[in-house]
Amino acid sequence: MTTSRPHAASLVSKSAMVGYLPLVIFVALLGYLSIASSNFLTPATFDLILRQAVPTIIICMGLSVVVMAGGDDVVSGGIDLSIPATAVLSAAIIAQQVTNQGTPLAAALVMALGAAVLVGAVNAILVVRIGMTPLLATLATSVAVVGIIKVVTSSRRINVNDPTIVWLRDGTIAGVSVSVVSTFLLFLILFFVAHRTRWGLNLQAVGGSREAAEVSGISARKFVAQSFIVASLTGGLAAMFVLARGSGSTPGTEENLLLEMVLATFLGAAFSPRRVVTLWGAVLGAVLVSALSIGFKSIGVNVFWTGCIKGALILVVVASASLSTRVASRGRAA
Amino acid sequence: MTKSILSGVRALSLGVAAAAVMATSAFAADLSLAGKKIGVAVVGTQHFWDREAFNGALDKVKELGGEAVPVDGGRDNQVHADNHDILLNQKVDAVISILGDGAVEPKFEALKKAGIPVFTVDHLSPHGVNNTTSDNYYMGTTIGRYMADAIGGKGKVAVFNAFEGALRICGIRTGLWKYVMQDYPGIEIMQPELAEEFANAPEDARKKTLDLLNQHPKGTIDAIHVGCWDQPAIGIVQALEEAGRTEIKVTALDGGPDTLEIMAEEGSPFVANVAQQPRKIGSTAAMNAARHFAGESLLPQTFVDVRPVNGPEEAKAVYKELGYGEIK
Repeated sequence: MTTSRPHAASLVSKSAMVGYLPLVIFVALLGYLSIASSNFLTPATFDLILRQAVPTIIICMGLSVVVMAGGDDVVSGGIDLSIPATAVLSAAIIAQQVTNQGTPLAAALVMALGAAVLVGAVNAILVVRIGMTPLLATLATSVAVVGIIKVVTSSRRINVNDPTIVWLRDGTIAGVSVSVVSTFLLFLILFFVAHRTRWGLNLQAVGGSREAAEVSGISARKFVAQSFIVASLTGGLAAMFVLARGSGSTPGTEENLLLEMVLATFLGAAFSPRRVVTLWGAVLGAVLVSALSIGFKSIGVNVFWTGCIKGALILVVVASASLSTRVASRGRAA
Repeated sequence: MTKSILSGVRALSLGVAAAAVMATSAFAADLSLAGKKIGVAVVGTQHFWDREAFNGALDKVKELGGEAVPVDGGRDNQVHADNHDILLNQKVDAVISILGDGAVEPKFEALKKAGIPVFTVDHLSPHGVNNTTSDNYYMGTTIGRYMADAIGGKGKVAVFNAFEGALRICGIRTGLWKYVMQDYPGIEIMQPELAEEFANAPEDARKKTLDLLNQHPKGTIDAIHVGCWDQPAIGIVQALEEAGRTEIKVTALDGGPDTLEIMAEEGSPFVANVAQQPRKIGSTAAMNAARHFAGESLLPQTFVDVRPVNGPEEAKAVYKELGYGEIK
């Protein structure tokens, strides 16, 4: 009995150390990049990092909401792998409507958001009604959505010159890119909804402990379903920035987005004191991932090595999250 | 008398040729990129063409004394476009940009605004100083004639045509192929046209061809043409062999060693191509950057020679001529 307490304490501190591991690796990598590339630590690079991170930041916020509601176990908890595909589908719909059909942008956006909600609803039904694990359900919808993208675009690129999209790409407000400002506003709104409203608090309660939430009369199923709709909506909104960034819709854009979304969101958990996925953590994670991509390219690292490093980082992030949880639960048990 | 005139003309022409060679080499020796940082952006390096154009540019930049800053899009047009932001941020002196779709245009515009000249490869842009490319007009019409001949001037043709609207070079190649088809009323271009993927093109085209063959029984397709390049043709030939439908003729454009080898095989359904010289294209773009810095004014486009390839024997000959080795 006397030895179990120090043992438990050392396990808890071990768990904290493991949890911080991804962050330590990232900071070390960024430190290295700042030394290796003379112009890495400049305002221009920072602006570039933020601008290139925008679509990833938005979909990461969507994924965070799903993880908040479903719990942060990567396999059995909340996850939505279909958000990047939903973003690219929405971008394809807008591009197809605006460029090929002459539809006004606002109307095209409504259609795209409608399609996004539909994808979210399918995810919700698969997970909540049918009881599939979110990982498999959203992987399946993602594959289906990529198929729909090909049908909508005939696997072809569609250029978009709409002035609003061009403004999102090139415009600035007080010297800051419009896309960055809009993303910050979206973050504030989502942060408010998730942390300052009853809906948000209930959502987090469901993710924290589904049983406890059910006992206090909160319908976990309802919140999990709604989280998928919110996530898909962020995909629909990200479409505007996907279009702005690419000056049009290009099939295949979802692959890179998926990699960055998963890496950024779970890396973001390392920022939170309890190692859980949070909105602001995901945003920071997305910025860090973008910084790494740009940094590696600035020092001339081969693009395939960059992909390899990102893959390895996902492994480190996810593995350290599971390890940290295991060590912590052993600590609690001791 | 005639003999002496002829020998005089020959001597004169040899002299002119020698003088031209000397002038060119003297001029080439003057070219320099010393002290210049040249960004070289390529859309991907998985395919022979992209890799050769990229290496050709990089090697020439180094040979001319410049510092090359390479960035690779990993066969993703969005990543390729974003890489230009990094070159802008690195404050390079010039950018050589290889391929890319409409996503790169605003990036070129930003580079131009920052006073960084852009030299494109296979991408005509209003914001570029010069575009180095193959003679796409010749490629489109030649492959049209060869394909029509291969099927006796009549029949049904399926076409892989994902990029006619997205890349100008593809618009030229496929547009002129269609222009030639107008003179063969017996040839029908099957609708809808097929669209190949930009990444994983061989495997994607293999699957799409197998689907096409399932839908159209033997005797109802005479040729499959790839409008702008030939990586999908690798998968098309594979599918035809798997389905035992090698009577269908395949034509495409680019002619790297991988596809020339397939063409050279006995009884290969892949019958015609137009081979480009991607390494020369890349190095010419780097030379053009040097010419620009030397104060020379460049024409909007520099065209690099191509080699038409009609049948297996020509495939073997061109393979050897372009320095890829020897096919026995």
